[in-house]
Order: sequence, then structure tokens, then C-alpha cells
Amino acid sequence: MKRRSALASIGAISFGIGSKEVDPVEIVREPYKVKKQSLKTDIVVVGGGTAGVIAAIQAGRAGRKVILIENGSQLGGTTTTGGVAFPGIFFAWGKQVIGGIGWELVQEAVALNDDTLPDFSIPHGKHHPRHQVRLNGQLYAMLIEEKCREAGVNLRFYETPTRVAFQSNTWTVETVGKGTNTEITCKQLIDCTGNGYAAHLAGYKLLREAETQPGTLQFQLGGYDFKSLDLKMIQAKYQQAIASGQLVKSDFRNNIVGLLKSEGDNIQHILGADSTTSETHSLANVQGRTALLNTLRFLRTLPGLEKTKIVDMQNETGIRETYRIDGLYKITHEDYVTGKLFDDAVSYSYYPIDVHDENGVVPDHLKEGVVPSVPLRALIPKNSKNFMVAGRCLSSDRLANSALRVQASCMGMGQAAGAAAALACKLDKTPLEVPLKDLRQLITEHGGIVPGIV
Amino acid sequence: MNKCRILFLLTLLALAASGFRSDQPGRYFLSPTLSLPADHVQAFTFDFKDELLDDTLFQTRSKEGFPLSYHRRLKTSVCFDDKCRLLDVAIYWNITGRYLGFELPQKEYLSKTDHEPFTTDEYQRLNALLADEQSPLGNMSYEELVPRPYFTVKGIDGVTSATAKSVLDYIVKGAAYTTYKMWHFIYGPTQERVTELTIKSLSPELIMKILESGDAYDKLWALNHINGHVKPTPQILGQLLRFIDNRNYSLSERAINAISPTDLQSDSVQVLLLSKLNQADYSQKKLLIKKLKEAPFLNADVKTNLADQLPKLSAELVGDVLVLFQKFGVKDLPTYRAVSQLLRSENRFIGSKALKFLQDAGVTDEAISREMAAFRTSQ
Repeated sequence: MKRRSALASIGAISFGIGSKEVDPVEIVREPYKVKKQSLKTDIVVVGGGTAGVIAAIQAGRAGRKVILIENGSQLGGTTTTGGVAFPGIFFAWGKQVIGGIGWELVQEAVALNDDTLPDFSIPHGKHHPRHQVRLNGQLYAMLIEEKCREAGVNLRFYETPTRVAFQSNTWTVETVGKGTNTEITCKQLIDCTGNGYAAHLAGYKLLREAETQPGTLQFQLGGYDFKSLDLKMIQAKYQQAIASGQLVKSDFRNNIVGLLKSEGDNIQHILGADSTTSETHSLANVQGRTALLNTLRFLRTLPGLEKTKIVDMQNETGIRETYRIDGLYKITHEDYVTGKLFDDAVSYSYYPIDVHDENGVVPDHLKEGVVPSVPLRALIPKNSKNFMVAGRCLSSDRLANSALRVQASCMGMGQAAGAAAALACKLDKTPLEVPLKDLRQLITEHGGIVPGIV
Repeated sequence: MNKCRILFLLTLLALAASGFRSDQPGRYFLSPTLSLPADHVQAFTFDFKDELLDDTLFQTRSKEGFPLSYHRRLKTSVCFDDKCRLLDVAIYWNITGRYLGFELPQKEYLSKTDHEPFTTDEYQRLNALLADEQSPLGNMSYEELVPRPYFTVKGIDGVTSATAKSVLDYIVKGAAYTTYKMWHFIYGPTQERVTELTIKSLSPELIMKILESGDAYDKLWALNHINGHVKPTPQILGQLLRFIDNRNYSLSERAINAISPTDLQSDSVQVLLLSKLNQADYSQKKLLIKKLKEAPFLNADVKTNLADQLPKLSAELVGDVLVLFQKFGVKDLPTYRAVSQLLRSENRFIGSKALKFLQDAGVTDEAISREMAAFRTSQ
């Protein structure tokens, strides 16, 4: 049809000319119904963040049927939705200590974005960020989703558990989502929520400090030339705004120069930020965005910053610390800084002790040669059966947790938990009963690095 | 060119000709990539877009024409709290862009905030600090260097940031601003001009010399400047293959990246990569299989060996090898048979990969078809 005649036809239909009766565009549809269903699988992973993705892929690649429940819209958690797209440190003292599936994903994301890896052969000294790998977070989110699907993982976005119960050696997980109400039965359950959310629903004890580390909303500022700014004047105005109550001192660590220099990268602090429930996470998100908006308005009143703008902002505030399980073994600060090699070690962890408070953070670096390890027992809640956690809610004291919580370590734990769950299914045992030799062999077959194995 | 500048140039040439020695007063140097005698100095002018009036970058070359080093004069004021001191020093870069050293003009010296001259130890510390390309100084502003209140407003706390507490590790005590200025000059716009000039001089011979450097930074720099910069030679390729092992991940990873599709036209190179694959750890196995995908064809021995290895490979690597076979249209019965063995794996993930490969290949062999059907039924 030629363009002129096509337009003529559209006009005729629009005005009702040429047809006697026009079908109504708007119709009454059947009312919305919640889809109820029951699913059966080998392993359920709750939480598609840093650790959960790796646990699910590992279990899938080991041949198990896996369902991954994620209450957000994409995978990756802190790395992607939280915008902390620098997933920790994989190399220590010139050697790779965290590898396997986590590293494979990082390596592929780096290659697909034409990025270059840092030189890991030279130790980072007192400045560990030099070994951080920067990722394209959104690319990473797509890549890990593809890897999950390749591993046969059944992804269930926008769902969250409402009930978790164990009976006759079977876990039942009830979830609710947008128009879904699902009951999933499985043999093994892995809680990768970072908050011990499923562990709590299952009735296991959780621990939490009176004061937790602040959260951070990641964003990017633009529209100014840092080098040309009068920083003394800006500092003075910033302090005046704090004194008058216009700005909150702790929002940006009392460091306006740092905010401008970093352009918003990992600089905000939201005190008490907690992602455990919808209410606490909503509060953390609102606090982060409010602080940013107020500060943006303030900055735009200052000479040289009149055109300051938000170039990008994450959808969620990233959270550092909430609840931890009371596990069969609690990793202590002493264990961590001395690099204790546990008999049941299943992965390494490597990061400075890194406790953020309202003043900022001063990382406490590990002594030369020290590489801490993670025992399987720290992933298993006391009095539990066929239940594990992976990620920051593992059993550890607060100082050890400040390092263990970092993404690379969570990836290592995720792979170990996925492998343990897969073997437990295969051998019809609990993860703790799985022969350690078999577990270590499976992890290393899939590229993971197990402490004590050369 | 004024007299002063000519004099400075002649001095620099004389000093450059004396090599990069730290045993002379006012000279602090690291090891260069090439320790050949200096033959001549060439001047290049750029708009560096920095605060200096001086727009000249000097390149020292050997008799053979290899660039040996670069230098530029840093003459500026170091100011804070409305007090200024003159900083006059020649900064040297290695041909790979890393910091090489600094040199003070005769009778010049560096001093601290209390006007005390640097001690020898402080000069050496400065030299070491300036060599750290990843120093946190790169992320600090000039104003963040000293942990003290930035200003005085009645009733308001002074600013003592956490960063400032740790700054002493990265500066010469009492000379924070001098360290900062020099560091930012070294890693500023001049560094890029340095590497641009070296890239223009790159040849297989020069790349080989840089690959043989004792400095890890130089080696990595050379590895990043092979593909697309110089025509591969058997010597370079041999060196790349030697770097591929489990001892140094970074060197190995860059060496794999530096192998070009042209190199992979050689059957022997493919076979050598296969031998590396057999010794490599998981991360590198994946990189090596991916590299083989860049080849214009897949060597028959490599194909057979990989097919034989399938039962021993991890699930993910099985997938990678099958993708490699698919890419090269591998469609022979022995390979199909090797893949069909995977249908019996107790790992259904591996079986599914094998089934997909065989389905996509349109296998018609009866025995294999039966195995495929049996696998489908078992799922």
C-alpha cells in the first residue's frame, strides 16, 4: 500500500467512515486472578544476589534442578541493583584465592565490555582498591541471568517467601509475587538473602549488633569541573548548612570534597540502613534519595556547582550489615586476621577488616601472606537440617563479617553452598554429612579454589 | 628558544647520556626497560593542558634508534596557606610510561614545610612513592592532604577525614604538597604523550626487548601493545607461549589476549595452545578455549584431542568445547560418538548440552539417535 493511500485508510477508520459498526476498543476483561501452583525441585535458593546466583549456577551445573527466588527485577543484588559493581578481591599475595564460577562471570563481563583487569601480580599494599575489578553492572546482570538459564535454573523474579517449613526431610517454601502464590517443595534450601530472611522464617536464631554499618546509595554526579572549584569556600558553606540543619553531617561522611571528587561513588552513608523487610528497605531507600536530593539542591547554590546534576542513580540503597545466623561455627576476628585454616574449609575470603561508621572507614589490612578461610559449619544454622546460608549472613562476629561480607568472598561461599547442596541431594545426606573430599572435589572441578588444596 | 632553555637542554642531554644512575647527587632513578647508552635527544612540543608554561617533552634515543626515556621539566610553585615555594625538577618516564626518576638542577634541592632540605632517605622515599601509579594520592584533592580543620567557623567541628589520617603512608612527611604535585605531574597528561610516542616507535624488536624487561609493568605494557600494533614474529609468539602458565595469572591472561587470529593460522600454535590447555587452571582453560574460537580453522588433532577429553571436563568447559565445535562446523561421526557418550553422564546438565549439540548438528546415526531418545525419556 502506498503511503498516501495508507494514511487515507487510517483516517477513514479513525472517523468511523467506511464501516457501519466499529468494535469497541475497551472491553470488560475477566477479573485478575492469583495463579496458585505447586512446584517440586531439588534445591531452592532464596535471593538472587552475589552469593545466590553462584550457588544456583553451581547446583545447576552439578546436574540438580534449581529454583531461584528473587524479590527484585534482576539478578546480582549488591553488584547490580546496589551499584557496587566492584566485586571485591580475588587475588591475594600474587595468587588467585577466589576463582570458579564467580571469577568466570567477572572475567566474561570484563571481556565483553573491553575492560582490562588490574595487574594482580603486584600486591596491592595498603591500598586494596588497586586490585578491585570494575564491572559494567547492567551487563553483568544480563550475563549472570544468561548463565543461570544455561544451567537450567528456574528464575522466579518478584517473589518472596512467606512461609518456610521442614517436614519429612522436605522443605516447603511458600512464596508470594505479582499475581503468583507458589508452594515449592525441595530437598535442600539455601538462604542467600544476606539478611537470614529464610532462616528466620524457618525458625532459626539470628544475631544482630546494636549498631550496624551504614548503607550507601550509589549515584553519579556531573555538571561541574572539580579542578576549578574553590574547595575552601565549599567546605565553609557545607559546614554552615550542617550547623543550620539544612544538611545532615553523616549523610556524606562530613566530607563534601570527597563527594565532589568521587562524583558520588561509594561516598554516601545511610545510618541504620536495613534491607531485611519491605518497610526497612523502603526507609533506607527514601533516606538515601532524600539526602541526595537535599544535597543536590544545596550544591547548585554554590559558585562553580550551579549546573550540578544527577547523571545516574541506583534504584536501591546498598546494605552492608543486618542479621547473621547463629551457626555451627562462628568465624571470629581472630580467626580472620590470623588466616585460620579450618578442617572443613570450603572457600577463601580476602579483604581488609572494613567497618564503616558515620565518620567513614579506615580498612585494617591483613598481614602479609594471610588468607582467611570459610568453614562449611559457618554456613549452617544450629539445629538445622538441609539448610545453608551463603553470603554476608554467614555465622561470624561483627569484625570478621565486615570483611567476609564483601562480594568475592560471598561468591566463594555461594559456590561451596551450591556444591554441598547438590551433593547432599545426590547422596541423600545432609550437607554436613557429605564427605568433605567429595565436596572439595566437586568445587575444584567447577574451578573453585578450596583452601589447603594445591 | 632562550639561552636558559638551551642550557637546560644541554644539561639534560649530558645527564641522560650518563645513564639512569642514582649514585650522583640530585638524581634518583629506577631501572629503565632498556639500559643502552643514550645517543641523541629529540624534542616534541605538545599542548599538555596543564599549569606549566613548558610545552616540551624530550625523548632520549639509543644509537639503534630505540627510545630509552622521556623527560620534562617541572618548574612550578607549591603553595598552601598563601605561602609558596619553588619546585624545579626534571621528571623522567620510562618508555612504557611508568615513572623512571627525577633529577634536580645543580644547586637545587627539595625542602619541607619547615624549609629543611630533604635528607637522602627522604629523597629515596620520594622516589619510591612516585613509582606507585595506584597511590591514593590520585583520588585525593590538594585540600585533603593535611588532617586539620579546613577553615574556622565558630562552633563547628574541624574536618579530620579518615583519608587524611592515612595520607602519611603516601607522602614524604613535611612535604605533602611537593609529593602530591610531583605525583600528579607524573601521572598527568604527559604520561599519555610518552606512551603515544613509544607506540609510534614500536617494532617487533622493541616489543621483544620490553617483553624481556625485569619489570612486570613493562611486560604487561608490551603484551597490551602487540595485537594491532606490530606484526607477530616467531620470537614474540614463543615468548607469549612461555608466559602462559599458572604461576602469574596477569601475565598469562594478557599473553593469551595478545595472540592474534593470524597467529592461530599456524597448526603448531593451535597444538601448543592445546598443550597449555591441558596444564591450565579453570580460569585459563576458559580463556584458551575462547582463544581457539578466533582461529580461522580448527586443527584436526586439536579437535580429536578435545573430543577425547570431553568426559573428563567440567560441565561448563564441556559446553565451551561444544560451542567451539559448533563454530567450526565439526560434523564427523567420531566426534558425534564422543559427544553422545555424554548423554550417559549422571549430570543432566552435561547430558542436556550434548543433546542440544547433537540435535543442532542433525545427527542421523541410528545408534546415537537411540541414545538421544533414551536421554529425552529419562528427563
